[in-house]
Amino acid sequence: MPIISLENVKKTYYLGKVEVEAVKGVSFCIEKGDFISIAGPSGSGKTTILNMIGLIDKPTSGEVIIDDKPTSKLSDRELTKMRHQVLGFIFQSFNLIPVLNVWENIEFPLLIGETRIAPQEKKEWIDHLIEEVGLTEWKKHKPNELSGGQRQRVAIARALVTRPYIVLADEPTANLDSKTGEQIIELMKKINSELDTTFIFSTHDAKIVSIADHIIRLKDGEVIENVRKGEPQPAECR
Amino acid sequence: MKTHVTIALRNLTRQKKRTALLAIAIAFSVMIVTVIYGLTSAISVNIAENFSDILGGHIFITGSEKHGTSKEISRISNDQALRDALKASGINYSYVSSYSSTFATIIFEGKTTSLLINGINIKENENFRKRLSLKKGDWESILTTPNALIVPEKVAQTLNVEIGDVVIAKIETVYGQNNVGEFRIAGINYNADLVSQLSSYTHTAHLNEILGLLPGEYQTFAVRLPSLKETDAAAMKYYDVLKNYVQVFDRKTEANGAPMTGFQALLRSQKKESWEGVKYRLFTINEQLAQIQQFVSAADTIGTTVLIILFLITMVGINNTFRMIMYERIKEIGTMRAIGYQQKDVKRLFLLEAFFLGMIGMLAGFLLAGILMAIVSSINFGMENEFFILLRNGHITFNLQFAKIATIFIIVSILTLLAVSLPARKAAKLSPAQALGTEK
Ligand SMILES: Nc1ncnc2c1ncn2[C@@H]1O[C@H](COP(=O)(O)OP(=O)(O)OP(=O)(O)O)[C@@H](O)[C@H]1O
Ligand SMILES: [Mg+2]
Repeated sequence: MPIISLENVKKTYYLGKVEVEAVKGVSFCIEKGDFISIAGPSGSGKTTILNMIGLIDKPTSGEVIIDDKPTSKLSDRELTKMRHQVLGFIFQSFNLIPVLNVWENIEFPLLIGETRIAPQEKKEWIDHLIEEVGLTEWKKHKPNELSGGQRQRVAIARALVTRPYIVLADEPTANLDSKTGEQIIELMKKINSELDTTFIFSTHDAKIVSIADHIIRLKDGEVIENVRKGEPQPAECR
Repeated sequence: MKTHVTIALRNLTRQKKRTALLAIAIAFSVMIVTVIYGLTSAISVNIAENFSDILGGHIFITGSEKHGTSKEISRISNDQALRDALKASGINYSYVSSYSSTFATIIFEGKTTSLLINGINIKENENFRKRLSLKKGDWESILTTPNALIVPEKVAQTLNVEIGDVVIAKIETVYGQNNVGEFRIAGINYNADLVSQLSSYTHTAHLNEILGLLPGEYQTFAVRLPSLKETDAAAMKYYDVLKNYVQVFDRKTEANGAPMTGFQALLRSQKKESWEGVKYRLFTINEQLAQIQQFVSAADTIGTTVLIILFLITMVGINNTFRMIMYERIKEIGTMRAIGYQQKDVKRLFLLEAFFLGMIGMLAGFLLAGILMAIVSSINFGMENEFFILLRNGHITFNLQFAKIATIFIIVSILTLLAVSLPARKAAKLSPAQALGTEK
């Protein structure tokens, strides 16, 4: 049972009169609990595809189905609600809220919408996540007092706090040195196996790609390779 | 909600200088208008207080007599009923006094001017002597001159009179005959407003003689209350009781139908109303100084206009700043939207930030106004100056009603929120993909 499927998804950007076909009819399926890498050179369409899976951007045509739910006809409100409840995000440049400290940044998604969680349970859960990403001593610090690697750990904890079943990460290691980058990917992998959270991350670092169970390789807005656990995958889902 | 408030407040501290500048702009407008409001309302109170000191009352009663078709006579021959009614009404008063007054044409060496002459019991009325500020002349000689006249500076100039000069006054007696009297200029007082520019003072006995009143008769019965604030309520009570003792002109039709300012009322001859005997008219210092109330409401309108104009300028600044803020925080807004912030949440965050900015500005403005008012009101201008009637014991005073502060609060809040509503909408409508994709 796939958790995400893309059906002939196209995305065209219009720059004045010039059309840029960023994604040229892409189809693939993603299984729940997988650790997926979307790989490809710069400009191949990684960010565009992740944004469409993340319901941040809408395809020009085609359908993104998440958890059996087609999303193309949903309103901005409904899409926002789905992003909040189903998805978690990790960004290349961390994107923490500068005026909130580590603990508050992680808490933030729980304060939006209709999240109902008992105060004590919330505190324990956030503290647990902080421990998981190794920042217990940094709880009260503001983002600008942290290193890049630490900031990305906060971002990971924030992405997980609503217990989403899909976490999207667009080049989460691009702003980190390679050693820190590897640690971040390892942390994501650890959480993936512990919590059974589906991770989809994009990268153009070959070393990081190799950790994934499922690799989708792009070039010029098209899928050129789709391999899961060593087996090539069909475009249509079973 | 708590965290959204926290974010909004902390956002304000991100660019302290910019926030401070905007808050100062708001504070400045608020301060100016607060001071204007405080001043105008205090001036009206002070004028009323000073006049009630001079005239010895807050509530006034004049008497009119009419017999057959003859002309109405303005006098009070026997005030026992008025005193009894006052006792029976149970209102708390300080003292009662009496005076006469009439319009006169004053002539001196070929120059003439019109003037209201008030006959006051100067010797016994200590408040009158304290309140009326003399530029020339002294109280001792006024008290020893039976036909002493105290005229305002302006009138002294017009007539070109000095202390000791004798002027002729053409006066109509209470019976409607023309009469002439002599007055010796014994004092020249400072004058600041229209009413005091037209008022002069003499001893009751002398004026009564010219008016054709008998000793013991007078024209206006004045009731002095412990404070000006009680005037309207006390007047109402007194009027209701007085009706049971004597004939009284209907206050309501007089006050509402034809807005009567006391000095006019003194002159007014009742038109073709069929009544006989003695009838009384009750009015208050507030009604008497209705023009001053009009001045105050005009000044308040100016104050509100100034607030709105100053604020429109400030609004441009606020609007620009929040547009800048939107671009500065575009990635943050995109992040919040991706995480699950709805459009309305983004909008609310902007509005909250602006609201707190407005609050900080307003608090600072009220504080500055308070400091300014405290400093200004501590200056003693003395009693002997042109503006004494606007002041209280030689001090500028301020009187701020809660309603005025609420008005400022509401206007500033609404205009601040209006100023950010467009940037807030624009920020809310940002597409999350575009906002996140913006390189910065
Ligand atoms: N907002 C946009 N407007 C116009 N063209 C765009 C926009 N976003 C992306 N593109 C174009 O779409 C194509 C795919 O871009 P995308 O950002 O998805 O690639 P990417 O694989 O994420 O590249 P990188 O590794 O550099 O991040 C590129 O040709 C890019 O120029
Ligand atoms: Mg990209």
